[in-house]
Amino acid sequence: MASASQPSLIASLKVQRRVLAALLVRELLTRYGRHNIGFLWLFVEPMIFTLGVTALWTATKSVHGSDLPIVAFALTGYSSVLLWRNMPGRCIGALMGNLALMYHRNIRALDIYAARIIIEFAGATISFFTLSLVFILGGWISPPEDFLTVAAAWLLTAWFGAALAITLGALSHEYELVDKLWHPASYLLFPLSGAAFLVSALPPLGREIVLYIPVVHGVEMVRDGYFGTKVEAIYDPGYLITCSLVLTVVALIATRWVEKRLTPQ
Amino acid sequence: MITVDRVSKDYRTRTGPKRVLDNVSFTLVQGERLGVLGRNGAGKSTLIRLVSGAERPTSGRITRGMSVSWPLAFGGAFQSQLTGVDNVRFISRLYGQDPDHNLAFVEEFSELGQYLREPVMNYSSGMRARLAFAISMIIEFDCFLIDEIAAVGDARFHERCNYELFDKRGDRAMMIISHDPGYLRDHCNRWALLDAGQLTPFDDFEAAHDHFLAQMRVGETVRAAAQPFSRRMAAIDSLRRVAHEDEHFMALVRQADAARDQHDWAAAEAGYAAALSLHPYERSYWVQLGHVTREQGRRVRAEIAYRTACAFGEPVRLLAPFIAAVEHPDSAGPPTAAATPDGGETRRQPPGYPDLAVLSAFAGGTERLSDDAALSLLRRPGAIEDVLARMLEDEGMQAPEITLPDSIAIVPGDAPFRREWLEDLARLAGARQEGLEAALSLGDAPLAALRRAGGLEGWALPASHAMEAARA
Repeated sequence: MASASQPSLIASLKVQRRVLAALLVRELLTRYGRHNIGFLWLFVEPMIFTLGVTALWTATKSVHGSDLPIVAFALTGYSSVLLWRNMPGRCIGALMGNLALMYHRNIRALDIYAARIIIEFAGATISFFTLSLVFILGGWISPPEDFLTVAAAWLLTAWFGAALAITLGALSHEYELVDKLWHPASYLLFPLSGAAFLVSALPPLGREIVLYIPVVHGVEMVRDGYFGTKVEAIYDPGYLITCSLVLTVVALIATRWVEKRLTPQ
Repeated sequence: MITVDRVSKDYRTRTGPKRVLDNVSFTLVQGERLGVLGRNGAGKSTLIRLVSGAERPTSGRITRGMSVSWPLAFGGAFQSQLTGVDNVRFISRLYGQDPDHNLAFVEEFSELGQYLREPVMNYSSGMRARLAFAISMIIEFDCFLIDEIAAVGDARFHERCNYELFDKRGDRAMMIISHDPGYLRDHCNRWALLDAGQLTPFDDFEAAHDHFLAQMRVGETVRAAAQPFSRRMAAIDSLRRVAHEDEHFMALVRQADAARDQHDWAAAEAGYAAALSLHPYERSYWVQLGHVTREQGRRVRAEIAYRTACAFGEPVRLLAPFIAAVEHPDSAGPPTAAATPDGGETRRQPPGYPDLAVLSAFAGGTERLSDDAALSLLRRPGAIEDVLARMLEDEGMQAPEITLPDSIAIVPGDAPFRREWLEDLARLAGARQEGLEAALSLGDAPLAALRRAGGLEGWALPASHAMEAARA
């Protein structure tokens, strides 16, 4: 029998785990199906993106304001962008297509977002990890100087991306303008996000401005961990954490607010 | 036990919040099967979604002291790109059950065969319904919420659904919503009526049903299609659809069907006659009316009903034996052939009883056509325009001072009179109804008014009337 009301915390956690696991499988099957390489697309797709951008930047010898090899620059920069930018893309409009799921009491809006965010996180992380490994073994770049800083930076960027994704996802259910504006915004934010430049290469006024963008701190921190002594990374993890914390509260409030207005179909 | 305590639900609309449920309270305990009656849009589905927990009330509390199913509606809650198997696995995982065991049950129960491994989007609606029901049966709940299950699938599948749900799981609590009162009567032991956001409980089905029907009567009547069809079969087809959308009509015929199944012929006749006086062109119920009057030995009315059904397009092949049986019970004398429509212009089609009633009200101001007169007109060959021509000739000439009755009997017997018969007349003559009403209110003679509104175009009518109409 399914659980009755007022279950214990343990029972609730069990239900939560079950719901997320079921949603993850469903999401993977729906998105990637069983054809050709199936769910391997999860990280092959971001890998192709990153490789493509790396090749493009190498070919055009992009100016990025440091003496880092362009491969290293593209790998760290573009992977970080994929990490935080794809999450909102997947969460905007996510409820609309899944309203039928809401008939199952145990599935909440947050679960649908969480499943999609986990998938995006896994894809971007595996892609980043695999490409790093390939480039290191191939001798194009050297191994990260401080692995823990890279990991922390990666997780902080993911946290910010997740909070942003849930906020925009919840708002998009009520305001379709969110969907319309996100596309141009995500493109405009790309050059500003620190993927294509080092903060230290900017003039002082430029630095001050871009450092208001939280994800810039994440990218800089990834580069600090990766290249440490070779670059001058400028970032403040406290600022990124504060932004993520505030955005998380907003995300949870927005989700509760939108859940009250949901009508399963 | 499930407790619904002073629950209200508002929906936002462009014109401000709309209250769908207003302070609704009830409880449901093990073994109780609550049937909720209500018209379309009364908030039945909202109520069931709130009880299931899929949606939150605007105010009030719902306490679930037992496990409650999701609302078992058909066809919903699938990911259509996924296969049936994937959907079964998903639900199994969601509710912490063994997917393979469940898969075996669904395979056996849904009889979908290889289709179970196809994406659900390739299914027919019947196949979806079978899969949905099978999936709903794999998880055991203390309380099942059922949304309009009656309308589903072929008889054999329906039977198995009923067995799974009401026999094997007959000890559970249930809440069933439907606008088919018969279904609720057969499967529930408590009833409630939802109207204007209020839920009124009844311990007795008849009382609930009476309130339901009373509510239907005060409701808006569904207006017939206003398109000026020149071909009658197209008009009849759309009028039948209109009838099926009219909840009052459907409630009456369901009631009559139930009476017929219990061989209560008089009650069935009253029900069909009342329904047909709302929508006289839903021809299949003329057949039913024929059957239930024949059972009572009223052969003239039965024959009128059968011949009307034929004139409106029911297959003569099937009705001919019944017509022969009521025309010549001792099988003496040749049967009179039943007239059938040929799909052409309305004026060239054979008339049914409602047409005769309308035409004689128009030509002679008659409120009620006698059964014998109607039958002899139905037996006599001739199209609608010939009947009108003959009526006008028989009356000598339509008296200019003739007064048209407010309402007329459009079904033989004691059925309620029909007020909207001018609408029928306008449709029959190909006239604009507003034009006809305007011309009549200006004091035109009926025939002139009908012509002024564009009616009777091309009809072969006695010359004197044509001249009179030309003068007017």
